[in-house]
Amino acid sequence: MLNLQPYADPKYFVILLLALAPLAIGLYFGKRFAWYEVIVSFAFIFLMFNGKKYHEGYAIIGFMIWQWLLVWGYTLYRKKANNTVVFYVVTLLAILPLFLVKLSAPTHWTHVATLLGFLGISYLTFRSVGMILETRDGSIKEFNPWLFLRFMLFMPTISSGPIDRYRRFIADVTSVPDRDKYLKMLEKAVWYFFLGFLYNFVISAYFFQSFVLPQVKSLAIESASVHGGLTWWLVPVMYASGLNLFFNFAGYSLFAVATSYVMGIEVPMNFNKPFLSKNLKEFWNRWHMTLSFWFRDYIFMRFVFLIMKKKWIKSRVTTSNLAYIFNMLVMGFWHGLHWYYIVYGLFHGVGLVINDAWLRYKKKHNVPHNKFTEALAIFITFNVVMVSFLIFDGFLDKLWFK
Amino acid sequence: MKKRGLWWIFGPVIIAFVLIGALFLAPFSLNHITQNDIREASVSFSKNVFKGEAIKTAAFNDKSKRYVPFFGSSELLRLDTMHPSMLAEKYHRNYQPFLLGQAGTEALTHYLSMQEMPNGLHKKQAVFIISQQWFTKKNSKVSFSEFYSPLQTANWLQRIDRITPTDRFIADRLLREKQVKNNAVYNRLVTKISNNQPLSNADKNILSVRHRMLLREDQLFSNFSASNNWKNRVKPAIGRLPDKDDAATLLSEATKLGEQETTNNNFQIKNSFYKYRIKLNLKRLKNSQRNFDYRESEEYSDLQAVLAEFAKQHTDVLFIIQPVNQRWTDYTGLRKEMYYQSVDKVKKQLTSQGFNNIADFSRDGGQNYFMQDTIHLGWNGWVAADQKINPFLTKGYQPVNYHINNNYLSTRWQNLSPTPENLKSFK
Repeated sequence: MLNLQPYADPKYFVILLLALAPLAIGLYFGKRFAWYEVIVSFAFIFLMFNGKKYHEGYAIIGFMIWQWLLVWGYTLYRKKANNTVVFYVVTLLAILPLFLVKLSAPTHWTHVATLLGFLGISYLTFRSVGMILETRDGSIKEFNPWLFLRFMLFMPTISSGPIDRYRRFIADVTSVPDRDKYLKMLEKAVWYFFLGFLYNFVISAYFFQSFVLPQVKSLAIESASVHGGLTWWLVPVMYASGLNLFFNFAGYSLFAVATSYVMGIEVPMNFNKPFLSKNLKEFWNRWHMTLSFWFRDYIFMRFVFLIMKKKWIKSRVTTSNLAYIFNMLVMGFWHGLHWYYIVYGLFHGVGLVINDAWLRYKKKHNVPHNKFTEALAIFITFNVVMVSFLIFDGFLDKLWFK
Repeated sequence: MKKRGLWWIFGPVIIAFVLIGALFLAPFSLNHITQNDIREASVSFSKNVFKGEAIKTAAFNDKSKRYVPFFGSSELLRLDTMHPSMLAEKYHRNYQPFLLGQAGTEALTHYLSMQEMPNGLHKKQAVFIISQQWFTKKNSKVSFSEFYSPLQTANWLQRIDRITPTDRFIADRLLREKQVKNNAVYNRLVTKISNNQPLSNADKNILSVRHRMLLREDQLFSNFSASNNWKNRVKPAIGRLPDKDDAATLLSEATKLGEQETTNNNFQIKNSFYKYRIKLNLKRLKNSQRNFDYRESEEYSDLQAVLAEFAKQHTDVLFIIQPVNQRWTDYTGLRKEMYYQSVDKVKKQLTSQGFNNIADFSRDGGQNYFMQDTIHLGWNGWVAADQKINPFLTKGYQPVNYHINNNYLSTRWQNLSPTPENLKSFK
């Protein structure tokens, strides 16, 4: 039976665009066929999780029922009361499936992974937890089951983001862009699709994954076995795997954004030339943006407010430093319970603390600022990021511990 | 910004698709393969050449030079002075080896590659170098994916007239590889062959479109990774060879080179190989091959598929059985009787079906400078091989009389632990 993994091969794009054509024609003439959109979404999700992946299909159904009950129940509760403990319990319950799936990797609980895991569980969890947090804040007041379903199961972004926000999404989905705007979106969509093909299929899959990486990795393994684990071959491995990560993921994000545009939904962009960042903070405003903004709004800010509200720590600097490390550690843990993800999170947490200290120092002292220092800043940031991606890649784990 | 209509947005995309379609489906060839390209490809070990069809077809149709396919594995990569490619070029022999194979190529891979070059096999000559190391118990086809291309499968499927037991055997083998298993079209077609169902006309049409597209891809890209082996390896080696094509002179020259290049160890292993691949692990490698076993393996049936292909094409083929470095295997504890039993099993399979051109060097691994390293022919070994290859190829094609026995495709044969008696009685 036909099984379609999102954006995996040219065939997928042909089928996807054929399926979306009626929707696009409708939007062009000012109509949004909501039912058709939902049917197409469901059909593609079904084709993702059928055949050998049927257990993922059951898992996503179970997951959706679980999140539905939590978000619905919490919205009902929130109308009457606002107890902090209830809020925490509901949030933890919403994260529970994802947590168990993540835990199943290092503990080898394969039955848990089979029972609960499915492609995209992280991104669906972000969506529903975001809804719960905004309901707590009072910015979401009603539970609309129809819109909840459309938001949660919006097909283009289901497997790997970008992470949209409920209120932004429903504003788009309940309206129709005018023809000029929709044509601009289509124009961008075509551009993003082709840029995505270049990034994902040509540069990442062909150039890096099937050409450069196997060679430099095997040379690194060979050389490291002689030189006690460290070798200069790690330098090309680092750049190749870091750049591959970008082109692969940015390519996927472009596909998801382009598909959303065809469907008349302006999903936010995920990458904005991250390697031109002049410091680490700027990097996180340009790299996997929807994830880092999600973490900024729902973890960093809330952590800072909590500390300030409870007056646990007086110093603002200490507070933000702690929040950086906490925020990035959580992100590390979210990537997976492996030492290299956690070290990656810690690395970026500490990096942001140092970055902040430097920015404060720069403000106080008369540090020269010109084109050259900017170029130097970009160079340093790029290399710091590349080191972190080498950690993230897990190759060191294979090299040293396997 | 200028107001844009639909044509401005989708026009370029449509034009691009039309152009790509034209490029891939155009019935004429778009590139020209020169004699230089072929000569370079003959010693390039390029995976694209191995996996493809365009260069091989061009090479075996070449009128100016008789390229003869040399099938083998990593030993072919040892492009040193006495290598068959050098000798043929230096002494203007009436043949030139076209090297097909490198580290990791085994019989199944060769079988698939052969599907793309019937013009190189049909009533022509070939050399096939067998390494006993292929015949491991667990058929570790880790490198299958490296040498596989859908073009091979398309060619194979297209060329099936009546489904033979070999075809069914290959179908089952392919269906175990994820490159075939996960491809909906090939999976379906190969499954049909496995079930002994002929392909329908619709299937054949699908295949011919696929074949044309894959071939075009091959024509456009297989020349990309051109190597410089001819210039950097063959040319200098030719300068070092004695002017006269004479076995005794070659042998003394080879011995001299062997002496010069094996000074840092007692195994007569080439210095660089010893330094980078062995020295640091020397202790660990002691007795490391004691449990190696080449006697029972699926590879015997893969080899049978190759033999069936040779028979189908009436190829006049010389088999070379490659020895192991005896100084080295004494150290690593490889069991001699096991090794010779596996050689006997291969030879039984060959001779019982009429493949009688066999250069068996399995007992020569202890001779001086016969091996370049642990398992690969070197200086004197290549000279000895040349004594068999040269007369065989110079004499030219001789009519063959093979009689294929499909029982060699069975697990009974794969798992037969060879003794003189059971080899003799196997039918």
